[in-house]
Amino acid sequence: MRFRRYALLMSVVLVCLLLLTIQTRGGGMGRAADVVSILTTPVQALLTKAHRGALALWAGYREWKSAWSENLVLRAENERLRVGSLQVREAQTENARLRRLLALRERLPLSTLAGEVIGRESGGWARALTVNRGLGDGITTQTPVIVPDGLVGRVVRVRPGASVVQLVNDPASTVGAVVHRTRAAGLVEGEPGGAIRFKFMARDGVGIIPGDLIVTSGQGQVFPKGLPVGRVVRVEDKGSALFHFAVLAPVADFARVEEVLLLTGETPVDLVALFRKDG
Amino acid sequence: MRLSLLLMTLGGTVAQTSVVQTLSVGGATPDLPFVVTVFLALRRGPEAGCVAGFLAGLLQDVTGGGLVGVQALTKAVAGFALGLAGGRLRVGSPLVQVPGLVLLTVGEGLLRFGLLQLFHYPAGLSALMADVILPQALYNGILGAACLVAVGLAEAARARMTWR
Repeated sequence: MRFRRYALLMSVVLVCLLLLTIQTRGGGMGRAADVVSILTTPVQALLTKAHRGALALWAGYREWKSAWSENLVLRAENERLRVGSLQVREAQTENARLRRLLALRERLPLSTLAGEVIGRESGGWARALTVNRGLGDGITTQTPVIVPDGLVGRVVRVRPGASVVQLVNDPASTVGAVVHRTRAAGLVEGEPGGAIRFKFMARDGVGIIPGDLIVTSGQGQVFPKGLPVGRVVRVEDKGSALFHFAVLAPVADFARVEEVLLLTGETPVDLVALFRKDG
Repeated sequence: MRLSLLLMTLGGTVAQTSVVQTLSVGGATPDLPFVVTVFLALRRGPEAGCVAGFLAGLLQDVTGGGLVGVQALTKAVAGFALGLAGGRLRVGSPLVQVPGLVLLTVGEGLLRFGLLQLFHYPAGLSALMADVILPQALYNGILGAACLVAVGLAEAARARMTWR
């Protein structure tokens, strides 16, 4: 066994030395090498091809993975930027609203208190806002609430830190009003659907046309005179009925009101001129 | 058994000439046929190591375009020697395998250099050692040990499967 082992080694060594000797003596190994090459070349080529394919696959996977993770990062960044942009836009919008409110506050010849809307009730049975001003701020019931566009409503309930404002389009709301152009008097009433209408006596309302501005009349000692309430959209002719109605578009967008002014003082002045069309 | 030996040897040699360049680290490449020879010598003894080394070296000589027989001789001797030593030494631990393979590669390199000196090989030993033999020895040591560990794990898993 051991002899066989060493015999094998010796044979191999001899063969190698023989090969080397043949080569160095000028004998050619070219043909044998060619035969080996013919046998190994296809396998080499196949292996190289498979290897290249595997490398390409791996590279593709790495690229896909890289793109995927990059995509995740970019998405997160995009989301962050979008949130940032929204925050900036929100701040700009709020800034513009507050500027308008401040400008109105400075123009008004009566004491006011700014309030922020902290709650809404718009179920149909009642339409109201809750503002963060209450008993501690000297707010009382019937305090008129406005925005730069016009009337929002009146305070109907006062709590220690908040007040509930009945909106003009609340079904239980009535506001004494006049047509600004003709001074025809009537009442602005809320409807369950959320619209508002101007109820007026037929004989007084002749000449009311769409686009007419309806403002508070100042009678009743609740609202100052001249607060814009709405604009006539259409007049409903009830024929010989005593009262006719005009459907109004509210000047204030109740759904978007976020800051309001509570009118804590009184004034005999007609305020309509202070409400510019652009607020 | 002989077929698997042949296939492993052939596979290692063909891989050496086709894909091993992509495994190059800092210009150093492993000698896969040598690793295969070592593996076979350790597993199957000096005869297998000798034959595998001879075949692998011969193929490398032919495909490499150098003197045919140099690597066949050195690898055959290395395979044989390791096959003999493997039966007497404990070479199961990677702590032995890595330096063992490094030393073996260096030994095979020195043997090859010595043989080539007979044929007036021009390069100096120091440059050859620094640029070729030592980097390849280190690479072989790490790669060979990794292969042996992988094979050991695979065999352990197979044994567990058999028990179940």
